[in-house]
Amino acid sequence: MKPAASCVTSSPAALAFLKTALEGFRLKFHPSAAAFLKARPRGLAVIDSSLPDMSGRDLVSVLRGDKRTSRLLLVLTGSGPYSPAAAALSLENGADEYFTFPPEPRLFRARLLNLLARAGPGAAASEKPAEYAFGPLRISPEARTVSVGGKRIRLTALEFDLLLYFLRNQGRVVSRTVLLEQVWRQGLEAGPRAVDKRIEALRSRLGPFGAKIRTVFGLGYLFKL
Amino acid sequence: MTARPKILIVDDEPDYLAIAARIAAGAGCAVLTAPLALKGVELAEKNEPAMILLDVGLPDISGFEAARRIRAIPALSRTPIIFFTVRSELDMVTEGLKLGAAGYVIKPFDPDELQARIKAAVFPAPR
Repeated sequence: MKPAASCVTSSPAALAFLKTALEGFRLKFHPSAAAFLKARPRGLAVIDSSLPDMSGRDLVSVLRGDKRTSRLLLVLTGSGPYSPAAAALSLENGADEYFTFPPEPRLFRARLLNLLARAGPGAAASEKPAEYAFGPLRISPEARTVSVGGKRIRLTALEFDLLLYFLRNQGRVVSRTVLLEQVWRQGLEAGPRAVDKRIEALRSRLGPFGAKIRTVFGLGYLFKL
Repeated sequence: MTARPKILIVDDEPDYLAIAARIAAGAGCAVLTAPLALKGVELAEKNEPAMILLDVGLPDISGFEAARRIRAIPALSRTPIIFFTVRSELDMVTEGLKLGAAGYVIKPFDPDELQARIKAAVFPAPR
């Protein structure tokens, strides 16, 4: 699985550097502390020490102080000439690594990969997002809410699980049998017709977006954007 | 020469108030201060400052509540507000930033950072 990192910076130069140095990573960019916190961060984050709304160091100490975010891997990047005092202070505030910008790309990449490797496969894998966004569709697995174009859509628990399963397996054909096992979770008693009926209901509730769930004749269903 | 932009600083701790006032004056601002939130809201309405530094943990009403009241005054609906606080809980920071704060500074603050934030808010870079 691809390594993942959240990048919190408002600097175009930093953004360009990170894109190049972390090629092959799954990257998410957040222009401010507010945007980053709203996205409910997980995994590894590269944080610019000067953000438009907060200092990176303050953000790191806040994240370390909360049990929901204390286990994040946090890398701070500073600007200007290297200062041992600034580096020490950043680490004392809870950063795992500190670099002055722009770091040597290979060194930067290697340190991040080592951090991820030591943190274990859970952190190295692309994190499950708190909210999936696909064009006009928003789905939050934790809050169990779905909206299309800002309009909330009511689904039954089963329809919700079904949609989530499709989103997590988009681009793959899923058979009725697999759906019965993975979503219905009660073996095959319900029967393949029950799947078809539920999917019809789900499609109609999603409106125009429902057409993204395609029937693959003789095989099952395919969700593709 | 235009008049110096006004900045309002609201904090119940005299030491922080004094330091913040000196930093703001150094950034080229005319400084107004208030030790309590309600007094701060009153001064804000009367003077329409160019920006506001607001402590979160004030004894009368919270800085967040003060910010909501300030935002409700039409002339101040977009005035940059920077919160500062010694309590740095994640939920508070998130709440503050959600209120549309121009920034969040944790005490004890770095004077250079605070000055840079004040300058950025009061003298926005020309587009």
